Amino acid sequence: MTWVGWRLQRTETLIAVGILALLAALLVPTGLNMSHAYSSDHLGACLDFQRSPDCAGQVGAFRDRFQSLLDLANWFTLVPGVLGVLLAAPFVFDLEHGTYRLVWTQGITRGRWLAGKLGVALVAVVVAAGALTLLFTWWRTPESRLDGRLSNGVFDSTGVVVFGYTLFAFALALAIGAIWRRAASSVTVAFVAYFAARVFVEYKIRNSLLTPLHATWKGIKQPPFINNAIVISQRVFVHGHEVARDGGFFGGSAKVAVPSSPATQATVHFTYLPASDFWPLQLAEWGLFTGAAVLLFGFAVWWTRKRIA
Amino acid sequence: MSGAPAISTAGLGKRYGAKWALHDCTLEIPRGSVTALVGPNGAGKTTLLQLVIGLIQPSAGQVAVLGGAPSTKDVLPRIGFVAQDHPLYRNLTIAETFRLGRKLNERWDEAFARTRIARLGLGERQRVGKLSGGQQAQIALTLALAKRPELLVLDEPVASLDPLARREFLNAVLEAVAESEMTVVLSSHIVAELERVCDHLITLTAGRTQLAGSIAEIVASHRVLLGPRSDAGSVARMHDVIRESHTDRQTTLLVRADGHVYDSCWEQHEADLEEIVLAYLGYNPGASASRSAAVAS
Amino acid sequence: MIAFHLDNRSGVPAYLQLVQQVRQAIRLGILRPGDQLPTVKEVVTALTINPNTVLHAYRQLDLEGFTEGRRGVGTFVAADPAPPPTDKLRTLRASLDQWVGRARAAGLDDESIGALFAESVRPAGAARVA
Repeated sequence: MTWVGWRLQRTETLIAVGILALLAALLVPTGLNMSHAYSSDHLGACLDFQRSPDCAGQVGAFRDRFQSLLDLANWFTLVPGVLGVLLAAPFVFDLEHGTYRLVWTQGITRGRWLAGKLGVALVAVVVAAGALTLLFTWWRTPESRLDGRLSNGVFDSTGVVVFGYTLFAFALALAIGAIWRRAASSVTVAFVAYFAARVFVEYKIRNSLLTPLHATWKGIKQPPFINNAIVISQRVFVHGHEVARDGGFFGGSAKVAVPSSPATQATVHFTYLPASDFWPLQLAEWGLFTGAAVLLFGFAVWWTRKRIA
Repeated sequence: MSGAPAISTAGLGKRYGAKWALHDCTLEIPRGSVTALVGPNGAGKTTLLQLVIGLIQPSAGQVAVLGGAPSTKDVLPRIGFVAQDHPLYRNLTIAETFRLGRKLNERWDEAFARTRIARLGLGERQRVGKLSGGQQAQIALTLALAKRPELLVLDEPVASLDPLARREFLNAVLEAVAESEMTVVLSSHIVAELERVCDHLITLTAGRTQLAGSIAEIVASHRVLLGPRSDAGSVARMHDVIRESHTDRQTTLLVRADGHVYDSCWEQHEADLEEIVLAYLGYNPGASASRSAAVAS
Repeated sequence: MIAFHLDNRSGVPAYLQLVQQVRQAIRLGILRPGDQLPTVKEVVTALTINPNTVLHAYRQLDLEGFTEGRRGVGTFVAADPAPPPTDKLRTLRASLDQWVGRARAAGLDDESIGALFAESVRPAGAARVA
């Protein structure tokens, strides 16, 4: 069964390996470059004296040099989806081409077949997701040291969430494919749905996954506690009247958007997720996507066992 | 368990939504028989066969295969199945297809598979997707036969094949029957040629079975009656009238009658299988004078 | 060895066609005592026919004494394959000749005579009851 599962999964697995190799070919040299630039410009030392004007030039130079690459890297958020739905395709091919009627009438039961087939696919997904996670996380390290890890671009392509996204895309394509039984359409729709779910979670769910902290701050200088934090809301009061409201990710070099004229009397109420929430937030979002993946996977298996003939 | 019939069903039914694809089907198929399941497209043939091999579960009634429940690990290895349009993995080679068969079956006769491929003039490194329809059908059949099944189930095996490939396919099936005690059930919407290939017959229309039994008995128990134009009532009191057709002067009846029809106003003829089957499937030539004339000559 | 052929349109059951062809071959001397008949599988291969039909035919021939099946070896033409009694044949032939003469005298052509003969020979079930 292992051989059979592997043989029927081989083409897609090789394509996945190809995608990973292509990514590695792009990321390994540029990643090495960034690490080198980061250490040779002593940017690490700069971070301790963030507000020292001497460093602004070096940080700026690093940005100028790599910004286009880092912008390009935002597209990486699609890669887990591509790998996930790709590796689910062989399962749907069986249903589309009727070959499930061939394999389910050999000497093994449907349950064993599903266990073997999806087991092999799952191993491929886990390995691919693992490789992707390691590659992305390593590549993002200099950037995340500089700009924090809670920015959408870095958060989405670092750590265990990458793993969760890949599993989610895989299970989503399985579930849609089990019902629809058309590989190309199911995989496409699953990918679009994956992307929609990701955008939804990023903009509507992520900030409410953890209980935020509240703090009040007087003055126009940026308070240190919001360095690299997600500021869910920032309300500026002058003489008890709210004059401005804002939110978003606050990178290391961001400044509080406080109206300049009555600045001296300004009081700012912050609601925020501090930089130290990175791992709890990663785990929470990973749990969200992995939980959804488990449900979808279970549904696909149940549907295939009970409803398909 | 070897004494159990190859297939026995009791009140078997399958419903999709509100529609019964198969309804109240009770029949028994003896071991060693070659049974044709005949009916128009959409009559429920595939449904019945898929219930037998356990691809789908019944909505009503029971089905026992080789004495056990379908799709269990006791029964599955003893059944061979070739689905309609004989699905195969097109990007596998023949050798890989056989390896799949070997991995998925406890009983697997590699020598048999190789011999058959050699006889078909195929190379093991050929890709299945590149073969002709007839050759693919033969590969699918070889896969089913090499597990040395006690029951071989074929769903419309020859419908998509040209006459030569059809002959070669049936030949392969029947040779396997000659070599072993295998039971065969095959569905078909083509009636011609069945008499030669099969010894048992089941007809199915709109989800219901009409005839089920040995072809010799079916043929022996039906008569064509020819007579002057009249009402079928007198015959219908004694026998089942399956079909009646009239011209302005003549009446032709197909009746189910064990033994003779003792009614002197009718001229009796043996009915041929195709005629009987078509009558049960609802074909009625109506007032076709030429057909009556042909039967009468 | 003989080669069978089947006529799908004849209306004669396939097993009976095989039986008739073996009997005919024995009568004509094509098959001699001790000759082996084709194996079931050979017949199946040649004719694409249900093996049970061939078995049926061979059993029938065994019963009629034309052949004898040897388990695991094959079916062979019997040493004394129920030869038709020649004297009886001769008298039957003579009376048939007389009948044909009468039929011609009555104005029947060959086709009508053949049809009449075929009707008489047809199996009981198909005979006209009236």
